[in-house]
Amino acid sequence: MEKNIITSPRTGDKCVHVKHSSGLDIYICEMPGFSSVEALFGTKYGSVNTMFRQKGDKDYTVVPEGIAHFLEHKLFENEDCDVFELYAKTGASGNAFTSFDKTCYLFSCSKNYQESLRILLDFVQKPYFTQETVDKEQGIIGQEIQMTNDNPEWRVFFNMLRCMYHNHPVKIDIAGTKESIAQIDADLLYKCYYTFYNLNNMVLSIAGNIDADEVLAICDECLKTCDDKGLETVFPEEPDTIVEPEIYETQPVGTPIFHIGYKCSDCQGRERLVKSMAAATASTLLTDPSSEMYQKLLKEEVINSTFGAEVFNGDGYFTVIFSGESNEPQKVREALVNEVSRLLSEGINDDDFQRIKKSAYGMLVRELNNVEAVANMLINSHMDGCGPYDSLSVLSEQTKQDVENFMRSELLPDKLVLSVIEGEAD
Amino acid sequence: MKYNRNVIGNNIGFSTIVDEKFKTSSLTINFITPLTKETSALNSLAMRILTTTNSQYRTIADMCRKLSALYGASISSFTGKRGDVQVLGIKASWINNRYAIDGEDIRSEMLGIVKDCLFCPNAENGEFDAESFRIAKKETLDSIDAELNNKRGYAIQRASELAFEGEPAANPIYGTRTEAEAATSAAAFEAYQKLMKTAQIEMYYITAEDDDSVENTMKESFASVERDPVSVTFRAPSAIRSETAEKSETFDVRQCKMVLTFKTDTEDRFALKMLSLIFGETTVSKLFKIVREKMSLCYYCASRTVFQKGALMVDSGVERGNIEKARNAIIAQLDEIRKGNISDEEIESSLLSVDNALSQIGDTASSYANWFFERFCDNSPLETSEYFMDFKNVTKARIVQAANSLKLDSVYLMLDKEDNA
Repeated sequence: MEKNIITSPRTGDKCVHVKHSSGLDIYICEMPGFSSVEALFGTKYGSVNTMFRQKGDKDYTVVPEGIAHFLEHKLFENEDCDVFELYAKTGASGNAFTSFDKTCYLFSCSKNYQESLRILLDFVQKPYFTQETVDKEQGIIGQEIQMTNDNPEWRVFFNMLRCMYHNHPVKIDIAGTKESIAQIDADLLYKCYYTFYNLNNMVLSIAGNIDADEVLAICDECLKTCDDKGLETVFPEEPDTIVEPEIYETQPVGTPIFHIGYKCSDCQGRERLVKSMAAATASTLLTDPSSEMYQKLLKEEVINSTFGAEVFNGDGYFTVIFSGESNEPQKVREALVNEVSRLLSEGINDDDFQRIKKSAYGMLVRELNNVEAVANMLINSHMDGCGPYDSLSVLSEQTKQDVENFMRSELLPDKLVLSVIEGEAD
Repeated sequence: MKYNRNVIGNNIGFSTIVDEKFKTSSLTINFITPLTKETSALNSLAMRILTTTNSQYRTIADMCRKLSALYGASISSFTGKRGDVQVLGIKASWINNRYAIDGEDIRSEMLGIVKDCLFCPNAENGEFDAESFRIAKKETLDSIDAELNNKRGYAIQRASELAFEGEPAANPIYGTRTEAEAATSAAAFEAYQKLMKTAQIEMYYITAEDDDSVENTMKESFASVERDPVSVTFRAPSAIRSETAEKSETFDVRQCKMVLTFKTDTEDRFALKMLSLIFGETTVSKLFKIVREKMSLCYYCASRTVFQKGALMVDSGVERGNIEKARNAIIAQLDEIRKGNISDEEIESSLLSVDNALSQIGDTASSYANWFFERFCDNSPLETSEYFMDFKNVTKARIVQAANSLKLDSVYLMLDKEDNA
């Protein structure tokens, strides 16, 4: 096993990457002076992976919505005990999450990280499902689904995705529905587990108060070698068009909230990183409080300081989302369309561009200051097909032209969706 | 890490924490003042204005332009409550000079901005700048309205209003809508002046290298401020009701919320905290393992202590049909502790989680600022090891005693409309 040391030329930060003989990619970042340790053991398996096959399979397997999240919940139970009880003996705080494109198991601690790492590596490689425990989990996840349905931020986001994507499973709620999770049984969980929890499809990242050699020795001890089974995930064909330009829902909210999303074309790997950073600069320029548009909307009391933007992308989906609170979200949409058009006709101001880039650089430096953020950055960059410090180099190479090109080709009025959660009428 | 606190004025403390591992620096300025219905909205409004513009950067656009040019440096206000006390203030953060690509002196620039925000606000003739005030007022009103958007937080706020009825702690963090709506620019400016004069002030500067420039600047600047600090009561236990109060409200929600507030007259804060950890703060607690996992009654069911008010709250998300069952199950788990059914493993794992949390203090600048500020308010030891020993010395008998001192004071329910169920 070769230890590959990766260094950020800009900040001098470094980490170790090892392709372990078991098939697992491992990233380790020793952070002198910090007390805590954050570790994530993740698989490239999220809510969007509903159709897949392995080498030798003739047909694709289609699984119920929400199964990746269900599997995450169930993996926390061993045959003889609950994983939380094991962590309780080391003092670590264990958790897990399922997103659109990944499932991660994690712990944070400041002492006994070696034992906590053994627990993490062990339980994730040791599934135990019975129909009885599957049935019980349906109640808990049913409650979770109910709770997210009452979360207006969640609803406004998914309503937007449903209006944006015809077929791509990104429009599906991560936890599924009460009906879809009712179709899940122990056999189906095992099938998904053995397909996606193959170490060749997984990553371990660990950062903080650790010793790289010690981490690797524990990995040698705990990891079970997996054959690469040639996993292939597919997504239904997705048209370029949106489904509906707007959607409104009523919920008990004190202030109406909105998401305005541009559906953009998707891409992979470093190309996606370059594109997402251009999108981030473009969206920051548009939502920057010093911009004319922002000042005008603020003066007219159309927006408040919650107005902001984010870039959201993964396998087969790429969007730029503008969100906030407003009584007149249609005006925000109109202003955005006009501002994109103005920036493209007049060109981006060079001072503004350099200032926004400096600000983005500052944010990336801040991220390297935090154990949890570093561990997340290591796993995310690998799963996105990039190196840990690529964001800094991509940012330094970014030109105004890149950002203008992105805006010209992707921020198109006919790809725009407005989603609003309004309060109940008095 | 080096820690040093100096008194730099009448009831003004300045703490410097030097930790070379950080790539950033931060300065937190806490104003500590009594929480009252009349002043909480105005105080919050004043703090908000202070950090959006100042006499040098007179518009939000100017301020934003400057901060982003300083590599995304930030300056923001915060408003919170701690029992009957309002804690509000300013927080500024920036990357250290050695990371500046063009060699800027970010620290000096930020110190100048913070100083100007605090001592030379964007105001004339006893009023804040009209535009800054108008925007801050709308932001405050929006923050008050938006509290309902977070159902769990809203339920806890409503439960606090019920449990601490008639006491300062019942007031919402940003004040009431009525108070905020009635605020004028002159009144907000007066609130700012009053805070500068009467609040206890505690500042925390976290830096990677020895640097007394920030402390010296603050000391010199505060020297010209007339001070007449008002003392606050950090701990004011709430009276225990003779009969449990109940309140319910109906909303168009899918999941109901239930918040149980228990009150106690115990002075044993460490036993109360250990009790809460075992009862419902961790993933091996009784509420998590039994009420959530075994009985599948709630997606979340957790306890927390509000020692300043002598209270312990349990909040949960439940289906309407399970409310009574969940309430009984929660109380049954408390009864188990009251009967002494606490395993050595439960005590040990709670201690380990405390130890782990304490050991992580210092890994972020905010954890340092929070830790030292809490110790200031509690007048408790600064060393985490000493603090941990207070937990370690808690016996099972003390936990049982704390559990037996709890009485169910009030129950708040956020109900769904029955046709949603």
